[in-house]
Amino acid sequence: MTKVTAGQTDLTVSYTPQVGSVSTELDDATLVARARDGDVRAYEGLVRRYEAPLFRLGLRMLASRGDAEDVVQEVFLTVWRRLGQLQDDGAFVGWLYRMTTNRCLNVLRARRPTVELAPDQHEEPAPGGQPERAAQTNAQVAALTGALARLTPEQRACWLLREVHGRSYDEIAVTVGATATAVRGRIARARAQLAEMMRPWR
Amino acid sequence: MAMNAPGYALPCGRDVETAWERLDAVAAGLADAHERTCPHCQGAHASLVVLRDATAGLAADEEAPPPGLTGRIMAAVRAEVGRREILDLPCEEPGRARISEQAVASVLRFAADTVPGVRARRCRVTPAGDDRQAIDVHLTLAVGYPAFAATALAAVRERVTAAAGARIGVRLNRLDLLVDDIYPA
Repeated sequence: MTKVTAGQTDLTVSYTPQVGSVSTELDDATLVARARDGDVRAYEGLVRRYEAPLFRLGLRMLASRGDAEDVVQEVFLTVWRRLGQLQDDGAFVGWLYRMTTNRCLNVLRARRPTVELAPDQHEEPAPGGQPERAAQTNAQVAALTGALARLTPEQRACWLLREVHGRSYDEIAVTVGATATAVRGRIARARAQLAEMMRPWR
Repeated sequence: MAMNAPGYALPCGRDVETAWERLDAVAAGLADAHERTCPHCQGAHASLVVLRDATAGLAADEEAPPPGLTGRIMAAVRAEVGRREILDLPCEEPGRARISEQAVASVLRFAADTVPGVRARRCRVTPAGDDRQAIDVHLTLAVGYPAFAATALAAVRERVTAAAGARIGVRLNRLDLLVDDIYPA
C-alpha cells in the first residue's frame, strides 16, 4: 500500500509516485498529457529525460557543443508552444527527434559550404577497469566520430538516428522526408563508408 | 573510397550489407565456403566488427549537456506559460484571492496519484455555472495493470473531492473520470 496520503502531497515533490512498494517514474504519455494541460513541472520532467540524448544527437550532427545546445533549447521551446497540436501523446518522443534532426540539418545548410567538420568532443573519461581496452574503445569512438563528419548530413542523420539512438525506420523516413526503403539504403551506404573509414582499426 | 557505389559490392561480387547481416553467423563459425576463403569478405567482416564495436561505444557515451541547460530551457518555457481560466477562492477579508486552472489541476492530479495503480493525466477545470467557488472537473486517468483495483476509482473520487475542499477551498460540483490508457504495474 502507498504511504502517501493527500495531506502529505507536496507540489514540489518529484514525479515519483509510490505504486505498492515499487517506486516508478511516470511514463512519457502521462507527462505529455499533463504538459498539454499547461503543467510546467511535467514538462520539466520530459526536458530532463530527453535533453541529454537530444544534445548528443545535436553534438554528433554538428560537432559543436554550442550549436547543439542552441538546437536543444529551440526544440524544447518550440515543442512547448506547439504541444496543443500533438494528436497522440505517444508520438511525443518521435516528434522531439524529428525536430532536433531537422534543426541540425538547417544549421548545417546555413553554414558556409563544407567547412571540414573538426569534432571538438571525445575527451572521454575511461570507465573503470580494463584501461587498455577502454583506451582502445575511446580511440575507436573518436575515429568513428571523425568518420561521421565525412558523411553527408542526411546520411549522418539517418545513420545516427537508427544505429545510435535506436529510432525506427518509419520514423526516420518521416523525419527526412523519404521512404523507409530509401532510408534503409542510405543507412546501408553510410555503414559501408564508415566501415571503410574504420578499416585502419581492425 | 575503395568501395564501389552504389551497391557497395565487394570485388568478389558479394556486398557489404550481406557481410553486415552475416556478422554474427560468421563470428559464430557458420561462415560458408566462400566466406571462409574470400579475402574481400573477410576484410569487410573485420571492418564491420570494428564499426559495430565503435558504434556501441558511441551509443554508450553519456556526454552530458552543459550544466544549466534544463534551467535555461525551463526559464524560457515559464516565460510563455499562458494562464487559462482563473477561479476565485473563498476570501473573507477585503481583496481577492484567485487561482489558475493549472494550479488547481496540479493539486487534483497529485491527489489522484496517491491512489495505487492510478496516474492522473489530463485535468480540465472549469467554473461550475455562476458559482465562482465551485468547479467542474474532467480528469483523465491511466491505470496500472494488473495493480489496478475496481475500488480505486471510488478512492480517486474521494481524494480529489477532499483535495478540492481542503487544499484549494473550492467545492467540487462535478467530477468526470475517464480511464483512457493502462500502463504496466
